[in-house]
Amino acid sequence: MKIFEPEIVAFCCHYCAYTAADMAGSKRISYPANVKIIRVPCTGKVDAIHIMKAFEKGADGVYVAGCLQGDCHFKNGNTRAKYRVEQVQIILGDLGWEKQRVAMINMSAGMGERFARTALEFTQTIKQLGPSPIKITHTDINQQAIRF
Amino acid sequence: MQNHKDILSDKSKNDKSKDKSVLVIGGGVGGIRAALDLAESRRNVILIDKSYSIGGLMTQLDRTFPTNNCDLCTVSPHLSETTRQLHLDLQPMTQLVELTGEAGNFIATLVTEPRYIDIEKCTACGECHKHFPDAVRFTPGLDPRAPTCMRYPQATPYSFSIDMEKITDIKALQKVCRADAINAYDTPKKTRVELASVVLSVGAQLFDPAVLDNFGGGQFDNVMTGLEYERIMSASGPFQGDLVRVSDKKRPKKVAWIQCVGSRGINKADVPYCSGVCCMYALKEAIVTKERFAENIETTIFYMDMRTYGKDYELYFNRAKNDYDIRMVRSRPHSIIEDSKTKNLSITYALEEEALQKTEEFDMVVLSTGFRIPETTLDLANRLGLELNSHHFARTDHFNPVKTSKPGIYACGVIESPKDIPETIVQASAAASMAAVHLPVVIDSSGAPEIFIPERDISGEKSRIGVFVCDCGFEIGGLIKVDKLIEFAKNRKDVVVSQAVGYGCSRDSMEIIEGLIKTHNLNRVVIGGCSPRTHETKFQDLLRRAGLNKYLVEIVNLRDQDTWAHIGQPKESQDKAFKLLHAGISGVRKSRPLIDQTLPMNQNALVLGGGVTGMTAALQLANQDIKVYLVERGPVLGGLAMSIQKTIEGDDVGPFMDKLVEIVLAHKNIQVLTKSIIVDHSGIPGRFKTGIQTGIRMNYMQLSHGVTILATGALPNRPDSYGLGTHVNITTQLELDAMIEDAPEKIKTMNHVVMIQCVGSREPGNPNCSRICCQTSIKNALRIKAINPDAQIFILYRDIRTYGFYEDYYMEARKKDVKFIRFSLDNKPIVRVENDQVSVFVDDIILGRKIQIQTDYLALSTGMIADDETTEDLSMMFHLPRTADHYFLEDHVKLRPVDMSVRGFFIAGTNHSPRTIRESITQALAAAGRAQTLLAKKEIELGAAIAKVDGSKCAACLICVRSCPFSIPFINEDGYSQIDPAKCHGCGVCAADCPAKAIQLLAYEDDQILAKLDGLFGELN
Repeated sequence: MKIFEPEIVAFCCHYCAYTAADMAGSKRISYPANVKIIRVPCTGKVDAIHIMKAFEKGADGVYVAGCLQGDCHFKNGNTRAKYRVEQVQIILGDLGWEKQRVAMINMSAGMGERFARTALEFTQTIKQLGPSPIKITHTDINQQAIRF
Repeated sequence: MQNHKDILSDKSKNDKSKDKSVLVIGGGVGGIRAALDLAESRRNVILIDKSYSIGGLMTQLDRTFPTNNCDLCTVSPHLSETTRQLHLDLQPMTQLVELTGEAGNFIATLVTEPRYIDIEKCTACGECHKHFPDAVRFTPGLDPRAPTCMRYPQATPYSFSIDMEKITDIKALQKVCRADAINAYDTPKKTRVELASVVLSVGAQLFDPAVLDNFGGGQFDNVMTGLEYERIMSASGPFQGDLVRVSDKKRPKKVAWIQCVGSRGINKADVPYCSGVCCMYALKEAIVTKERFAENIETTIFYMDMRTYGKDYELYFNRAKNDYDIRMVRSRPHSIIEDSKTKNLSITYALEEEALQKTEEFDMVVLSTGFRIPETTLDLANRLGLELNSHHFARTDHFNPVKTSKPGIYACGVIESPKDIPETIVQASAAASMAAVHLPVVIDSSGAPEIFIPERDISGEKSRIGVFVCDCGFEIGGLIKVDKLIEFAKNRKDVVVSQAVGYGCSRDSMEIIEGLIKTHNLNRVVIGGCSPRTHETKFQDLLRRAGLNKYLVEIVNLRDQDTWAHIGQPKESQDKAFKLLHAGISGVRKSRPLIDQTLPMNQNALVLGGGVTGMTAALQLANQDIKVYLVERGPVLGGLAMSIQKTIEGDDVGPFMDKLVEIVLAHKNIQVLTKSIIVDHSGIPGRFKTGIQTGIRMNYMQLSHGVTILATGALPNRPDSYGLGTHVNITTQLELDAMIEDAPEKIKTMNHVVMIQCVGSREPGNPNCSRICCQTSIKNALRIKAINPDAQIFILYRDIRTYGFYEDYYMEARKKDVKFIRFSLDNKPIVRVENDQVSVFVDDIILGRKIQIQTDYLALSTGMIADDETTEDLSMMFHLPRTADHYFLEDHVKLRPVDMSVRGFFIAGTNHSPRTIRESITQALAAAGRAQTLLAKKEIELGAAIAKVDGSKCAACLICVRSCPFSIPFINEDGYSQIDPAKCHGCGVCAADCPAKAIQLLAYEDDQILAKLDGLFGELN
């Protein structure tokens, strides 16, 4: 059987997590290629809808990565994001999904190592959980999709 | 030493004419930075270089430490910046022949050599070089493709040059040039220019080891200099970036580096000083060898002292040893012998702890050669009337390292002393800042003339997308197949052009893209390359040149977040690249033209920290008519420098500091606020508001300022080791320094003095080198010897790090019989106190036994540690990053060493990393200069990412009013939410919270984010 390679979307804020990801790259610290980043100015911009849409389109796991608590470039955007992630976790729970499929992670711009480590940990968690329930029930979404 | 009075008020009394220029001599990375700083602060600059394109030594390096990034990628945006600056006149192939007059009123005579090619017409097509490969002007190291006079793809100016002596048939040459750019009658041009000041940044050469017979005298194929090794590894080098031996083109299995070749020596052809950069570059080359070519290549570095004294460089050294398994052998090898058949190389060397010589065979040997001042520089110094020091480097003021012996002429970079790129950049900004003093303060607030063509209106047009993917040498193309990405993109909807562009950021690629945008009438562009954080502005400018709004480009991060992060996983990396590129294409279809917002800039500066760094920065700004708030936590100005008596050069610190404090306190543009702490902070770069509590009553006061300079210093370290604090004769170097000055009679009675180095540094808890301690202990040892020549002084050390000219003092100490005993981290000295007698026990590696020194005095070199509490508070307040050991983390360790990641913030002095007074002053001047480049803009660019309300959808529910972190939205007269675009910070919290989705954050609208998600998962809507 083919090994399950999850699709993971990471919404990263420009000031910390996205910079940390660049830092991981420039230090050549490896992390799973499953993680694909979408850049946002602040994690406070990430809407519950964006996270749910990511699942709908085929993500097996989604995480939001922002500045350290108290260090948000926009004061408290990351606190808002944390709250929204918790909301999505409740929704997932109501749907009978595993809450761990969505997470909030904090790091500073200099933490390339932390970016790589958390990316690995999250990917491992999702691998253990297996494919998203949406993928199992709606295989047609994948059939419509372009094959890379 | 020069009188230090004048450096404190270095204002030329001469007429200041607005039309005069600053001449920057030398187009290396230092000269470019100095010229850009001046141009950005609206001063006219002439940048001359004797070469036909600028860039200097850095452009020949493969990668730079400590990030191991490709240099071209980091320097090329800087190079092309030079071409777009309105105030900058770039003159390659030009030299200064005469300088007359004085500071503020110089007249320079410049001569430009004929290029025989019209830069305006040359398209750099390469036809001339194809037909006349011998018309060579330059041979970069081992490059067999030398005929191309362009050394690298991002050359500036982007044009060839011709060596007329090698051309016999000029007509034939002219015939092959389709652009009709060849001018056979080109002649040298002589110009006279009026100057206010001069910045000298001519760098140095690298030592040529061909004179060393014991290392093969340049005759061995597989022995090369560090720079030649860089060229071999470089994608634009002789083997297209493949690491192979010159003799048989085979991959080496064993590579050795020999340090200090030609430096730190007393033999023929040697210079006594330390070149300061070779330890780091050898470590870098060894790491890159393993990282890029094969982990099983054995790498060995032969060295005397490992001098990794820069910021976080010790961590780099530890990584080299522990993570990359690079073998370190402490020995200065005697000779290299080549096997005439295999061309392998035998190195003969001796170890301290062993009696016999050893011989070991290697496939390749790299000689780490250092800096030398060439004869041409001596001539130039002569023409300028500059004094040089005994090593032929520019002699500069001890308390102002950029100030030469001639008023109005400033030096930066390696011409001042051996140094690496970040230190060069810092000095360049400092020199630019000093040079600007001779020009009038810029009051002109009229905007720069529009240099871009009007934007094309694309409303109503169907998407026409151009996709351009870089291979970035091997950085992207080495791991994934760019042609497959191109093929894939070609078949996506609305994609009109899909093309590989090599180095997309190079001048030729940019021109190709610009051309394609115009010919195919593209209205959206996707660049697959490096991070938008570093290169977005560059491509946005490209779009503006092509007549498109700059927000119609999407940068897909294929390098930093794909190939660099997934080394060794070509399949996964390729798959991710498809998806990221697809997301970019899908996202760009939803991009819309946007307008940038601007606000007037506040012209005041806030300087935090009243030590030597803060005061120097404040004074430099105040002399440029900038109002400065100088905020100090303590009751008086002065800081840590007040507790230092003498510098190693022998200057008294006290009188210098007293004078500085006096001038700062009396300056009309400086408001000194002592006993003050920061309590709140708000605003945006260019319009900050910082609240302080000040004075004994702790009154609240709010300061408005456009820029902030952090000069909060570090703390003297005082770890609980070696009995510090338990005995009156065990102290730190600071206390010894004071005793030498105040109680020389005590020094006279001492028979034995022991100093222990690296106390509380270079060990767990504080892993970095404190940089200042080696020279401090040597300084104090020499001062003791001057008072009491019979005193026996023992310095127990791990590596002596007297970089640059500090090596002179190390040699002097050795000559005066100061005894240096080395110990290792796992076998540290032991201190015992018995019957009031301090004894130090240490294993002497050379004697091979433990020795006991009964000492009259034990001075511990405790160095510095970061002021954790202060940097933590301020980093929280200002949202600034810190390093793991609690110093502030600059925006780019290599190229933006005093800029912080938050615009408008600059750092200088020991809150950056440990450094000397002299080095702190340089950083202070640099930070002041960088701050001025920002203030000169007069307007703040706010970008276009602001929240926009659709009134028809708004239910006035007040959620945005409550959720905005800055309290910007309000409900207007018409009953819906309104957000002032000039005040919006662009975080998007309101947009995410708005239940009716009446708010959209421009540039990050919901449909744009969803389109990217569609792209990631293969749907192209």
